[in-house]
Parts: sequence; structure tokens; C-alpha cells
Amino acid sequence: MLCEQCGKNPATVHMTKIVNSKKEEAHVCSECAKQFSGFHSGIDFSNMLSSMFGQPQIGTACPTCQSSLTEIQKRGQLGCSDCYETFRQELTGLLRRIHGTTKHMGKMPEKGYARVKAQRQLQGLKEQLQTAISRENYEQAAELRDEIRRIEKQMDEPKQEN
Amino acid sequence: MGLNELIRSMFNSWMGHEGPEGDIVLGTRIRLARNLRKLPFPRAAKKEHLQQVTSVAEEMAGHLQDFGTISYLKMAEIPLLDRQLMVEKHLVSPNHAENPTHKALLLRDREDISIMVNEEDHFRLQVLFAGLQLNQAWQSISALDDCFEGQVDYAFDEQWGYLTACPTNVGTGMRASVMLHLPGLALVGQLTQVLNHVSKFGLSVRGIYGEGSESYGNVFQLSNQLTLGHAEEETIEHLAKVTMQIIEGERQARDFLKQPDRRTSSEDKAYRALGVLSHARVMSTREAMELLSDVRLGIDLGFINNLEANVLKELMVLTRAAHLQKVMGQNLPSEERDRLRADLIRERLAFGTNRQLK
Repeated sequence: MLCEQCGKNPATVHMTKIVNSKKEEAHVCSECAKQFSGFHSGIDFSNMLSSMFGQPQIGTACPTCQSSLTEIQKRGQLGCSDCYETFRQELTGLLRRIHGTTKHMGKMPEKGYARVKAQRQLQGLKEQLQTAISRENYEQAAELRDEIRRIEKQMDEPKQEN
Repeated sequence: MGLNELIRSMFNSWMGHEGPEGDIVLGTRIRLARNLRKLPFPRAAKKEHLQQVTSVAEEMAGHLQDFGTISYLKMAEIPLLDRQLMVEKHLVSPNHAENPTHKALLLRDREDISIMVNEEDHFRLQVLFAGLQLNQAWQSISALDDCFEGQVDYAFDEQWGYLTACPTNVGTGMRASVMLHLPGLALVGQLTQVLNHVSKFGLSVRGIYGEGSESYGNVFQLSNQLTLGHAEEETIEHLAKVTMQIIEGERQARDFLKQPDRRTSSEDKAYRALGVLSHARVMSTREAMELLSDVRLGIDLGFINNLEANVLKELMVLTRAAHLQKVMGQNLPSEERDRLRADLIRERLAFGTNRQLK
């Protein structure tokens, strides 16, 4: 038998995959088996993901891409960025189970997120201020307070983005 | 494309030279998953959506002049063999090469920056560096990301960060990896222990070609698993710290292998491997990888002096199936490939001391 992928080499790797009690077989050569690694993992990730979603709500569909939660579970992927808004509640639990947290702490786009960035910076400065006060480092605390005031003033100015 | 030409093209890339900690860390890679607002992710997208994304990418090629010469390539117009070659060079994922319809690639001429278009996400930005260069890689990819963001509207959520097709990538969308060669730890029997330990630190270990790939020749890929809850710099620092500990362990193992009572057997192993590589007429990928690993260790331990260490790293990629077929300019049955692989290794080792190719 020739490899089903490349049709050139003899098929030496025979794989059986059972998904939702549907059996799929593949006969490929060892090179193709290596390159097309989808068959290697024993766990079907999309099923794993859907089991983490919990009970699906029937009926709701994403207004942008029309994906329903059932479809998302089947695909193991979301349909578009708006799915995150549509299924926010369901996803909150899922993200916590995957990452152990639900708060992004990394980079942000420059465009449109200046305010969020400033808020995050403020929060950090306020924490530093508390630490400075508790250590009775009043000189540093005064500097931090001025910096906080400066940023807060900037944020109150009307030229808002977004 | 001839052998010399292939090798020369490698000199320019991360594979062609040694980076920091290059005796243990072969390379550093960072990728960012990014998507456009409002457009369905590739797997849920219709043809016209996918075309919209590729036309954005094509336009982007013109905005990336600050990053050197970047070409826009349609995957479907690239022959299968060349696509497989790209997989072996770590430029694209196996999936990107396998199903090329409506997929594209932005590629820097030096092959250290590649952007997959319409893979699992709209854009997968990637940088490759030689040796351990996590901070440099992050700075480089972050600048590339800023440049992209200046032109397009990213799908981003204040609470959840960059939104991706798979929820496991949400947040930073970042996967930072280092490619490690750990023959010392393997020889002293501590490899499994070290790699198990690593998973307790939220890092994952895989073969060099990613998920599900084999890890012959003691080469492993270590990367962060989580993308939410930590800043990129933090994730990178964590990965760097764990990597440094593994490097330390590997160095200790190598010192142990050089001790008087172990020296002869270590040296013997390296030279036996070199003997087989220099004379064998048939060679499988697996055997090649394992022997190349032994020889490389022999060089790093100072036993073998007339070979350049980097030739081994180069051969690990050069002797992969698609590369061999590229050298021959045709598809080959696997027995032929094994024969050609042996030929190529002999030839390369013979002029391994002289890297000045015509």
C-alpha cells in the first residue's frame, strides 16, 4: 500500500482515530506521519476543550460570525473575536481553568488603550505608594503622590481616545 | 538547488551560526498570535474573509521596510517540497504547509522573521535567533508587533488581552521557546528527572518540530504554557531562569563526563559516532540525529577538534527529508533518502573544517 499523503512511499504507519464513535483510518509513510503530526497526540484536544466549557446554552449565537456555543465546542476554537463578548460568562470559567487567572497583564495595543494603560500604571503607583507609606519612606511617597496626581489630571483632560 | 547553495542560505540564518550559550542552546524562538477585529478566525472564516486577511498581509509587506527585505508569499503558489522545506527550517507549521489554500507567509530574506497568515489565527508572528537570546527576540518581535498594530485593528480585550482562536493562547498570545541540546544529562541518566521537573514550573517540553514531534538526538524545545496573567517580560524571565538552571545541570553533567575515569568512554562514544557518520552508506533520520548529537558532544567536550561545532546543528536540519529531496531536485523513496543522507553527511564532514565554500 502506498502512503495516502504523498502517494510515493510505502505506507508503514497505520493509524486509527476514533472520534465520537466514528472510526477513521490513515495509512501513511513514516515521513508523512512525522510531518503531519496531528495523529500523534493521543488526546483529541477539541473534545478536551468542550468538556471544560460546561453545559452549553442552547440558542445563543455570535452576532458577528454566527457561531453557537455547540459549534465552538465542536471546533475547539472560537469563531471570531466577538465570540469572546457573546460567551463572556462561559469563557470566564474556561479561561480560569486553563490559565488559573482571567486578567491580562501583558502588552496592549497603543491605539485606543491609552486610558487603560494609564489606569494600570496608576494602580501600580498606588501600590508602591502604600508600600512607601508603610515603610515610612515619606520622601518617596511624596514623589509617588505627585506622579499619581499628574497622571490623574492627564486622564481627566477631555481629549479622549476611543 | 545544490547542496552548497542550501548550506550558504543557512549561513545567513539562525542555523548558520552559534549564539550565546550556543554549546547547549541551539536557538530561541518567540511567536505572537494576533487577529483582526470583527473578522472570523481562519477555521470559521469564509473564502472572502480569508482573502481580506491575505490582502491586509500583502499590504503590510510594504509597511515593514524598517525590518529589511520582507516578501509576501502565497502558500498555494509554493511547490509542496518547498513548503516542507519551510517546515524543516521552522519557518512555518506543518499545518500551514499541508493545507496551503488561502494561506500566506511574510518572510524576511534572512529567514529569521516569518509571519504565517491564516494559520490557526489571522497572523502568527515569529522570530528566530541563534543561541539563547530571549530578550533580544522579545524586543525584536514586539517592535514588529507595534509596526503591525500601527496599520491594523487587533482583536483585543481589556480584561483578556489579545483574543485568539484557541482560548489557550488568549492574553499575550505569546509562545517563547528555546531549543536545547542536552546529551550530557541524557548520558548521566538525569534527563527524565530534569524534564519532569520543568513541567512543575508551568513550562512544557516537546520535540523540536512542536506538538507531537519526536525528539531524537537529545534536542528538546522548552516553552511557556500559559499566556494569561503574566506580562511577556515576566514569562520570558521565568523561561530564561529555568533554562539557565538546565544549562547549569548540563554543564555539570559534561564536566562529570570529562573526569579521568569517564573520559575514555566518553571520548570513545564520540569518535565511534564520528566513525559511523564518516563511513556509513545508509543512514536514517533517527540514527543521524543520534550520532550527530554524540559528535557534537565530543566537540563541546574538547575531544574532537578538527570539526566546527556548528556543522552538526546545520546537518540536523540539512539531513531532513525535504532538504535531501531539494538537493536532488526530486522526490525520493525513503531507502534512497537514507543513502543520500549518508552521502551528504560524509561529504559535509569531509570539508567540515573548511567552511569557505565557493
